[in-house]
Amino acid sequence: MTAEHVIAKPVVAAVAAHAASGVAGVVRLEPGVAGLVGSVARTARQRFKGLEPVPTEGVRVRVEGRVWVEVDVVTSAVDQAVAVARAVQRAVAAAVTEATGLPVAAVAVFVLDIELS
Amino acid sequence: MAMNETDQGYLLPCGRDVEAVWDRLDEIDAHELECPHCLGARESLRALRAATEEMALDTEEPSRALFGRIMSAVRAEVRRGEVLPVPSDDAGPIHVSGRAIAAVLRFAADTVPGVRARHCHVVARIDVIDVALKLAVSHVNLTVDVVDVVRERVTAAASARVGVRVNRLDITVEDLYDL
Repeated sequence: MTAEHVIAKPVVAAVAAHAASGVAGVVRLEPGVAGLVGSVARTARQRFKGLEPVPTEGVRVRVEGRVWVEVDVVTSAVDQAVAVARAVQRAVAAAVTEATGLPVAAVAVFVLDIELS
Repeated sequence: MAMNETDQGYLLPCGRDVEAVWDRLDEIDAHELECPHCLGARESLRALRAATEEMALDTEEPSRALFGRIMSAVRAEVRRGEVLPVPSDDAGPIHVSGRAIAAVLRFAADTVPGVRARHCHVVARIDVIDVALKLAVSHVNLTVDVVDVVRERVTAAASARVGVRVNRLDITVEDLYDL
């Protein structure tokens, strides 16, 4: 008997978002307009069922056997933006593989803003 | 509200026109008290009037939080349009917004006394960046040294805050100002 596991993209995205936002130097994930629209729709759907959705804003996922992840982040100027981006790549790849068993092909990181404060 | 003019309005089975019922919604005559068609039409029209009045009176604006999220998403979209590739390894590509880098470099130049950073343009080369920076300098502070200090701080900020090496830094003092 063979069993097939299907992991939905929002699951991978939520795992990736959680891992990325926990990295030191990441101020927040940055949802684009498409991400915001998608998240509002998903939030409304889950609220309707009485669930509080896990955030997936700022993460795009493609699954074709392996996983491709894109993360949009805002970093703090206290840390080196490129070093934070590398840490995000490691954290996201490790978390996605651990949670879903899927191999991660690449994690692309976009630093959309560096917060000076 | 403009309505399409028709020769004849929508006639109820009793022979009365719906338009006539609408016009006299709050008055009622003997026929309408008994006629089930007129009573039905009147009830529906009352519900319609109540609903439109309620919507017209609803002036509530979307919450500040939602407005803020939308504006933040729009700004992110603009910055996403001009990201620069920076050195990365097998884990995947890394891009940093050119505007974000420019803001960091302008901020670094501003820390030099008497210097106001103006326009800053960043171009990505392979593994390094080229920067064109324009300044306004207080006439009290204008010396050859001040540009060197700016050069030092901007280069240091690029490596410490962003993690990229500056290949070329063009500084233009385009204006003087009084303190």
